[in-house]
Amino acid sequence: MAHYLVPTTTDRETRGFFEAAAQGQLVYRACNTCNHALHPPTGHCRHCGGWDTGWRQAKGTGTLHSWTTVVHQVHPGYPTPYTIVVVTLDDTPEVRLVGRLDGQPALQAGMPMEAWFETLPDGTVLPQWKPEL
Amino acid sequence: MIDDEAAFAARDKCAVVGIGQTEFSRDSGRSVLTLATEASLKALADAGLEPGDIEGIVACEQDTVAPFTLAAALGATNLSYWAQTGPGGVAPCMMIGLAVGAVLSGQAKAVLAFRSLNGRSEARLGKGVRGMDAETVGGLGSYNEFFLPYGLMTAGQTFALMTQRHMLEYGTRPEHLGAVALACREAANATPHAQMHGRTLTMEDYLASRMVSTPLRLFDFCLESDGACAVVITSAERARDLPRHPVLIRAVAGGAPPDLRPGMMFPVVSRDDMTDLGGRLAGEKLWKRAGIGPSEVDVAQIYDCFTISVLLQLEAFGFCGKGESGPFVASGAIRRDGSLPINTGGGHMSEGYVHGMNHIVQAVRQLRGEADMQIAGAELCLCTGGPLPIGSSVLFRRAA
Repeated sequence: MAHYLVPTTTDRETRGFFEAAAQGQLVYRACNTCNHALHPPTGHCRHCGGWDTGWRQAKGTGTLHSWTTVVHQVHPGYPTPYTIVVVTLDDTPEVRLVGRLDGQPALQAGMPMEAWFETLPDGTVLPQWKPEL
Repeated sequence: MIDDEAAFAARDKCAVVGIGQTEFSRDSGRSVLTLATEASLKALADAGLEPGDIEGIVACEQDTVAPFTLAAALGATNLSYWAQTGPGGVAPCMMIGLAVGAVLSGQAKAVLAFRSLNGRSEARLGKGVRGMDAETVGGLGSYNEFFLPYGLMTAGQTFALMTQRHMLEYGTRPEHLGAVALACREAANATPHAQMHGRTLTMEDYLASRMVSTPLRLFDFCLESDGACAVVITSAERARDLPRHPVLIRAVAGGAPPDLRPGMMFPVVSRDDMTDLGGRLAGEKLWKRAGIGPSEVDVAQIYDCFTISVLLQLEAFGFCGKGESGPFVASGAIRRDGSLPINTGGGHMSEGYVHGMNHIVQAVRQLRGEADMQIAGAELCLCTGGPLPIGSSVLFRRAA
């Protein structure tokens, strides 16, 4: 099983995220009534009680909130070291997404990050993050 | 809002009357059902009861032994109540709550609560979450599709991200995490059945241990163990006629964090404050229901899947202020002679990892006055569960 873990892209709640990624777009779910972001996505807004939710285009930029360099390898498809980054979207502090960087790069909390799109061997597209140049 | 009258009314109405455990090891060589049966029979014998006296069985939803299967193995033919709760390490404290509810509502006169796992030899939790071997990962409400493909696969990596935030915001240092590991090891060194009984740990050893997922090292992680624990709960009134000194269940409370997100542990990264735990609300409810505050607690069993989980729960349950847990543990407060000795059998760090259930057993031992590392005069013991995505807690009290 030395391969990438391929995300399920057909889930009724989350497929819009991956459909957008396949088009090179980064989106997040939000409530159309009160404008709160809902992540991980839900069809019901916990803030205002509304059911009118939809996907919104994100800028594709954010700031680094936290990170960990994985040293102990867990999965054969993910050789160590690699670094998991947690990025707060510039669009809304209510959504943080994760990304993966090779090795153990020098990072600082709050540093600007930008999204890019990784195409997995099976064709699935995964939004990723890297430090903004 | 929920009327707390019922919660107050449950105070001291039920008791733990029997405890049992198997050996904790790296390879039990036996099935989890056999381990669960052994721990349960020991708990029943300790309580002076027979399998036929057990009307209720409560379990962790991650246990592969179902309540009815354990009833069949025990010969508990009067089974009339059963329930499973979770998730994972949150379960044991909530199992106590289920047992109290069953006893006080007349659904079961005596309830057996158990946890059994071959967590080292068969199903290693450190190998990642369930469902990673599927053709595609996530979906069906797990939300793992947002995390697993990036290599975020384990609880340890998730808690590493939380630790990093705590360090950034409050200046928490590796030595603070190490103080937790050392306190647990000190207790294990005094506890013959603890898996790390014969192995001492110094701060130098701790700091020299290999990195697993920065900033967490090997000794920030709990053990992976094979073993089982079981306890018997009945009414305080009935407990007076049983052989062991009753340990009363003063109060039980679970709690969710203010910014709870859907999904298991990985979505914690999106919370407004990922180091603010559900245990904070559990604690607020618990102290109110108990009519007792954290400063009155003599000893605590704090859920220690990782060293950072202890720091965050010390803050959540009000033993120190937010962000102050590092200096609090570095002061020696959580050691044997400190103001709040914790994990007095060695905890998950050094006694064994029975997913929170060994903490319940240790709490009962302390309040009976029969622990290996006994805290003199212990009358109140806090037990916590969790800490992700939600928290749980029980306050135990030695009967007068």
